[in-house]
Amino acid sequence: MAAERATALVIRGTDWSETSRITTLWTREFGKVRALAKGGRRLQSSFEVAFDLLTVCEVMFLRKAHGGLDLLTEATVRERFPQLRTDLRVLYCGYYFAELLADGTFDYDPHPQLFDATLETLRKLGNPTIDRPAAVSAFELVWLRELGYSPRLEECAVCGTPVEAGVRVPFSPSAGGALCPKCAPSTADRRWLSADGRATLGRLATDGDTLPAGVRTELRQLLSQMVSSILGRRPKMLAYLDGVG
Amino acid sequence: MTEAVPAIQTLLEELTKLPGIGPKSAERIAHFLLAGDRKVAVTLSEALRAVVERIRPCRECFNLTEGDLCPICSDRRRDGGIVCVVETPRDVGLFERAGTFKGVYHVLGGRLAPLENVGPDKLTLTQLVQRVRRGGVREVILATSPTLEGDGTALLTSNLLAGTNVSITRLARGVPSGASLELVNSQILADALDGRKAF
Ligand SMILES: [Zn+2]
Ligand SMILES: [Zn+2]
Repeated sequence: MAAERATALVIRGTDWSETSRITTLWTREFGKVRALAKGGRRLQSSFEVAFDLLTVCEVMFLRKAHGGLDLLTEATVRERFPQLRTDLRVLYCGYYFAELLADGTFDYDPHPQLFDATLETLRKLGNPTIDRPAAVSAFELVWLRELGYSPRLEECAVCGTPVEAGVRVPFSPSAGGALCPKCAPSTADRRWLSADGRATLGRLATDGDTLPAGVRTELRQLLSQMVSSILGRRPKMLAYLDGVG
Repeated sequence: MTEAVPAIQTLLEELTKLPGIGPKSAERIAHFLLAGDRKVAVTLSEALRAVVERIRPCRECFNLTEGDLCPICSDRRRDGGIVCVVETPRDVGLFERAGTFKGVYHVLGGRLAPLENVGPDKLTLTQLVQRVRRGGVREVILATSPTLEGDGTALLTSNLLAGTNVSITRLARGVPSGASLELVNSQILADALDGRKAF
């Protein structure tokens, strides 16, 4: 067993017994790690406090060799996001990120840029004047890119033929991008992506501050479809996000 | 132990569904029930049947009870104007053991955890709002756990009660009486500072 150190965001916790819990951590160094925190439910323990959902902590853990659970040995809180506790809409966004990270990434598959983007987005959501749908969409785009599914906007997602620039295009969420006139008819889930929507989608990953009202519904819908297609189901938290804008 | 006997196998399977009981503990319990005085097993099975058949949620507060109203709701000496909102019937037991609260309770039946499929519809929130709207409630104390999910539950509850005139309070968090400052963790100290009150 080797001792490892990591910076982690707590994305899931399950009570295991009266005194311990299984925690799913999204770590910058190792990707998703599932580990047992013994004595993690004692009141005075700073250990327990560190494993509250969506808390950023520094952890030490012993890596098990044979597929067993890793064992957490130390944890200290590094950052919390107070807005999660004062604004239900922000809390639902946080839960949505946790769902995408827990169910969309693999154990020990690190994505430091996605880790950084998660924390940065959670910090940004602390600002009450932020464009929340834009922040959520930008996060989804980083998630898609890191998993290898960035929407293809300039060439056909099926055959790779370049598609005409600056116009609306047929788009397939399951194929992962725009479609050329030849592939479009045979792609079952094709839909339209407007020229404005296409331009916004192109810049959103790098400049995710605003989602213009004119393309908001279209892009929220399209990104939800892409995310659902990769997860193999509609994320549970999407129903909650719809209600809060 | 005798894995070929179907009845025992069923018992083991059922026992391992209980919290904190793994296969080894299940075997030990099954062995105990079968080895010695079988009256223990019979009494236990009768007790289980009795709670399943007789215990149900209180009409008013959703605490577990045998009658229509739980002993707390039917106690005239309790102040029905102060409602302490908790997650589970177990929490009611904890507050009652502390022995200082003279109001009544409202058991939500869990905490808001959409990722574990516990949405607002799985909690007795509508019933709480109706209870407050019926009148007579002056204060609602949100006593869900101080975890993110517990705080989220409190937040949702207070949002839903925003249209009523009731005063909403949240359980204080901070240094427990009798604890030495050097032994409590820094988050508890930070919470205690935030929640300080006039002396
Ligand atoms: Zn094509
Ligand atoms: Zn009652």
